[in-house]
Amino acid sequence: MPVRRLGWAQQRQRSFILGLAPALLVLALITIAPAIYLVLTSLTPLNLTLPGTAWDFSAPAANYLDLIEDPRFTRSVWVQVKLSVATVILQLLVGLGVALLLNGSTPIREMARSGFLIPMVLPPIVVGILWRVMYAVDISPFHRFMAFIGLPVPSLITDPNWALTAIVIAETWEWFPFTMLMALAALQMIPSSPLEAARIDGANDWQIFRFVMLPYIQSTLVVAAIFRLIDSIKAFPLIFVLTDGGPGDVTEVTNYYAYRQAFTFSLWGYGSAIATLMVAGVFVLSYLIDRLTGAAYAEAD
Amino acid sequence: MQRPIEPQAARAPSSRSAPSRYFFRRNRRWLGDIGTVVLLLLVLFPFVWLVQMSFRPNQDILGYELFFTPTLQHYRALWTGAFPASFLNSMITSLTSTGLAMAIGVPAAYALSRSGFKSSRRIALWILATRMAPPIAFTIPFFLAYRHLGLSDTLLGLIIVYLTFNLALVIWMMQPFFDGVPRELEEAAWIDGCGVWEAFCRVTLPLSAPGLAATAVICFILSWNDFFYALVLTRTNASTAPVAIVNFIQYTGWEWGRIAAAGTLVMLPVVIFSILVRNYLVRGLAAGGVKE
Repeated sequence: MPVRRLGWAQQRQRSFILGLAPALLVLALITIAPAIYLVLTSLTPLNLTLPGTAWDFSAPAANYLDLIEDPRFTRSVWVQVKLSVATVILQLLVGLGVALLLNGSTPIREMARSGFLIPMVLPPIVVGILWRVMYAVDISPFHRFMAFIGLPVPSLITDPNWALTAIVIAETWEWFPFTMLMALAALQMIPSSPLEAARIDGANDWQIFRFVMLPYIQSTLVVAAIFRLIDSIKAFPLIFVLTDGGPGDVTEVTNYYAYRQAFTFSLWGYGSAIATLMVAGVFVLSYLIDRLTGAAYAEAD
Repeated sequence: MQRPIEPQAARAPSSRSAPSRYFFRRNRRWLGDIGTVVLLLLVLFPFVWLVQMSFRPNQDILGYELFFTPTLQHYRALWTGAFPASFLNSMITSLTSTGLAMAIGVPAAYALSRSGFKSSRRIALWILATRMAPPIAFTIPFFLAYRHLGLSDTLLGLIIVYLTFNLALVIWMMQPFFDGVPRELEEAAWIDGCGVWEAFCRVTLPLSAPGLAATAVICFILSWNDFFYALVLTRTNASTAPVAIVNFIQYTGWEWGRIAAAGTLVMLPVVIFSILVRNYLVRGLAAGGVKE
């Protein structure tokens, strides 16, 4: 019998390598190879309209040195920071608020949970279009209502002072369901006995939330925030449809700037350098996630 | 489960706003329900507005009367344009990419779940990093490479690009489902004469059917929703539905009725699917972030 068990284990181990190999091969081909290509391109002045720039490594650091002195790049990072911080905080607050509301289990609230998911699963391009409708002065129900009550509001997306806020509102609307779902899942894992004990001791709603619920869900909230932070760096369709980076460059985030440098101005080397820096930034954040969730996985194993 | 209310009732008189507070406490259940419904209507307002716009006749497209004669003229106009072809492109790329990702990813997820390879954790981290990387980092090298490989503006090119996120997602999502299937069942199948993969197909896969379905649906949604890759890597032949919408905005301007109709058609499959797999959405979209 032990011999047979060993055979099973060995046979399994061999099969597992066979099962894993195709996936790792494909993943390497479609993720590692492009990553290497990207970094190599970032070391060249590649411009598809200028022949001979393809594999020119004569000044490998040129793009990166240019980046340091490029005020538009610095501004784009700053726009990104403002957008990310504002949307992540708002998504956490709104998501948590709605989750607390939906945590009561009545039939109506359980049904409503599906409804609140809709913004998150809509194709981003459709989210862009429906907010474009909301922000278009001549057809938006919001703008016409404000005009009707005598308080006309100028267009938000063409006003340099408000364009980024308009994006923040739309982005928060699109993604608060994500933080809501994660918060709700965490809230429902809280055992009922500490909650009941706190109530018997006369704690009010705020105290129950602050001292009983929050400690249970705070690690989930941190993870949700980091996920949203990383995804906010990918912001593209909303900006593409609503403002196209404008007016001027007030809504041009780093992702959008890299896209423009490469696909509009054909400065592939420069665009690659920006993208490389973005990947580096994202990896640092991913490492953070791994540290935060790693302990939990270790326990589970 | 009825919680005792005596302590609060006893404390109520000492509080200044006692009557209103008492009212809220006693009625919080249905007050919460009303709040939920009002909030849901507010949140979904832009969504509902777009859908109703798609049915409004052109001369009344800006109207806001609750009652109007719905028309299908915008949908009919879409049907005669280039839109159906791009809708079909979206279907083909999303379904094929999902199928490929499942075929390659499911055995890998199973192997990772069972093998106890020392490098499992490192592979998991790599997969997480793939999900996190900004798409711009993939589009630049893919765009440059596709020019030489003849994959620009082809469905196959898009299908391959969608694997960059779908494959990682399948591996990540299926692993916990396989972890949940007891190994003893597979061993029993082996003793009955099954090979490793035969035991996997006959025992483990059927037991993980809900997970397989949810994973496939989420892959489909992510591919279907993609805008950036399709915008950059396709032009006319392989353009998907989201890109088609942007194209006709650029050519014919903001024809609201038609845009609303196209938007409604594009979001329809996603909304239906996502409500079906609601309970798995968190795990799929937060891959790695949620502890089970």
